Amino acid sequence: MASPAALDTTIAVVTPENIAFDYQLAGPFRRLPAYLIDFGVRWGVIAIVILGLILAGVLASLAGMTPFVIATGFIFYFIVSWFYGTLLETYFNGRTIGKWACGIRAIGVEGRPINGKRAMLRNLLRIADLAPLAALSSFAPNVPPAFLIPTGMVGLLTMISTRRMQRLGDLAAGTMVIVDERGWKLPIAKVDDPRVPALASFLPGDYRVTRSMSRTLAMYAERRHYLTPARRREIARHLASPLIDRFEFRADIDPDLLMYALYYRTYLADSSEELPDLGPLAGYSPLRRDQHKPQGLVAGSAQNPSIPGSSTPSASPSPGSRTVGPDFQSVTGNHGTAPPMQPLDSRREDKQ
Amino acid sequence: MNVAKLLEKRRVQWNELEVLCDAMETSGRTHKSGVANHRGARGIARFSTLYRAACADLALADAYQLPPGTVTYLHRLVARGHNQLYRADRFEPKRWSEVIFQEAPQQIFSDPCVRVATIVFFGLFAVSMFLGRNEDLFPGFAEQMVGSEQLTQLEEMYEKPLAGSLDHYVTMSGFYIMHNTGIGLQCFAYGILLIPCLFNLAYNAVALGTMFGFMARPGTVGGDNFYQFVTAHGPFELTAIALAAAAGLRIGLGLFYTGGLTRMDSIRVNALKAVPIMAASAVLFSLAAFTEGFLSPSPAPYLLKALWAVLSSGMISFYFVVLGFPRSTAEQGTTMMGDQPDAT
Repeated sequence: MASPAALDTTIAVVTPENIAFDYQLAGPFRRLPAYLIDFGVRWGVIAIVILGLILAGVLASLAGMTPFVIATGFIFYFIVSWFYGTLLETYFNGRTIGKWACGIRAIGVEGRPINGKRAMLRNLLRIADLAPLAALSSFAPNVPPAFLIPTGMVGLLTMISTRRMQRLGDLAAGTMVIVDERGWKLPIAKVDDPRVPALASFLPGDYRVTRSMSRTLAMYAERRHYLTPARRREIARHLASPLIDRFEFRADIDPDLLMYALYYRTYLADSSEELPDLGPLAGYSPLRRDQHKPQGLVAGSAQNPSIPGSSTPSASPSPGSRTVGPDFQSVTGNHGTAPPMQPLDSRREDKQ
Repeated sequence: MNVAKLLEKRRVQWNELEVLCDAMETSGRTHKSGVANHRGARGIARFSTLYRAACADLALADAYQLPPGTVTYLHRLVARGHNQLYRADRFEPKRWSEVIFQEAPQQIFSDPCVRVATIVFFGLFAVSMFLGRNEDLFPGFAEQMVGSEQLTQLEEMYEKPLAGSLDHYVTMSGFYIMHNTGIGLQCFAYGILLIPCLFNLAYNAVALGTMFGFMARPGTVGGDNFYQFVTAHGPFELTAIALAAAAGLRIGLGLFYTGGLTRMDSIRVNALKAVPIMAASAVLFSLAAFTEGFLSPSPAPYLLKALWAVLSSGMISFYFVVLGFPRSTAEQGTTMMGDQPDAT
């Protein structure tokens, strides 16, 4: 998204509404399973119909209709084996059963769904893409020469060497195969750590988050719950330490918490909103100049159970040794054995 | 207004669009969503409103500073709506009649690939028919080409007279419709690789020609039955195979002879040119199939079948030459076309 020629397998499509959106292309390893499923389905259908015809043939033999049943069987076999893909892709908007199962879809290179003509071209030319045929009889002399295994090298090579991962049939028909994902979530991380709004209220009002910064923040907030707290701090430190200097915060502010507070300010907080209700955290200040001021809160309430975020268990440091509230700093520096302060689990909001 | 509230507000509409997409993906109509105002025209209007709104959201995503996850979501939502709004076109009968009666003959008349394919197919067919028939001059040609087992099989197949053994020949019609159309389609598909197409075409021409010649020998068992069976549908089917190969060659030629376009564009342009030829070939194949299904296995007199063969050859010639003669601007000189079905 950042640079025009990203090394991704995406292709941008401009719609008549003058909107550009990205499609993710499906490579050979997504398309092969779809083809194999289609192959199975095709032969399954043929087998079922032939069984049905045999059954019908037994009944019809009384009426002398057997040859017609057999002829119908041949013609049905012909239609299914040659026009399976064409018919399904025309009537199901570029998808066959295998493509549906693998979550891919064939569309035109300009982003429009394919029509019957294109579906026919790309499906008939599949034969050429499956070339060359490898005769099993050249490896094992006992196998009858009828068993020819398509190697698909032609299709694979063209797919590798074209920008849109098209096989020959796709090139001729002007189509491409894209990933058609479903079941999306709306990823906005929810903040339910009360320390975050509290810290955010101390961010200077004239600090504007740039676009790249906001993107970084969103990506960080999305991914941080896959990381351990120590790793979060390590990653966040690069951005957070210059900011701590700039905001004149205390040096022992948890970088992760600062990033999260910035995220909160950017995406979740109302600019017009009053100062959030800080509850028991009222009176704390992360600012460097307030470091030596007496805090309003009695130190014993550091383990105040009304703060869901302070999960410091019984191993928490003794209240006397601490001059400031436990909340905006990482604890590891003070007491080696104490577990780091865990910010609340910020689940991805489930909007289903 | 912060981003979360904005998303919360927009999400209602996005969800509605998703519901509509779900409904349209399953049945192609909007009323399946079960919401009162999604029926009929109102549903479509609602869908397009929501789609445009989502497009606008995507366009403004950067200005709103939406999180990347949401932008990805919007990309997919818009793509999904786009796929429903611009669905695959169905086959349009009117358009196709235009293709078959105007574009195809013009294209066939002017396309050198058609000439190459017909000369290869019918030339080799005629030559091997002659060689296969003349046992005295070319002894063992048929056996070498097709194999003596196959030839005895062929004789056995046509041992029974057509009158009174309808069962046998109806089954065979079914098989040959499948088999010969399959040859045509294979020639078409391999055309993009040129060599396999020409090989396939030549191989089938030689095999078929030799069999025809072998069956035409005076002493062969079932020769009369063979020609009784084959005559009626021969012109349609053989021409169709040659045309299918020509359509394939047209695409394959585009791969090598680009005419100033990029290779990919050239393939696409040539594939579009090949479609009318392929459509004509498909029509001929289905005519052949009908003839093969109803007339060929019937015990009708040979005169009728021969008449039908002459008539169909005439129809094909008319189609190629009269309908295909360059109309507006004479681009190509008149060449010998349209007399290829006479080879059967």
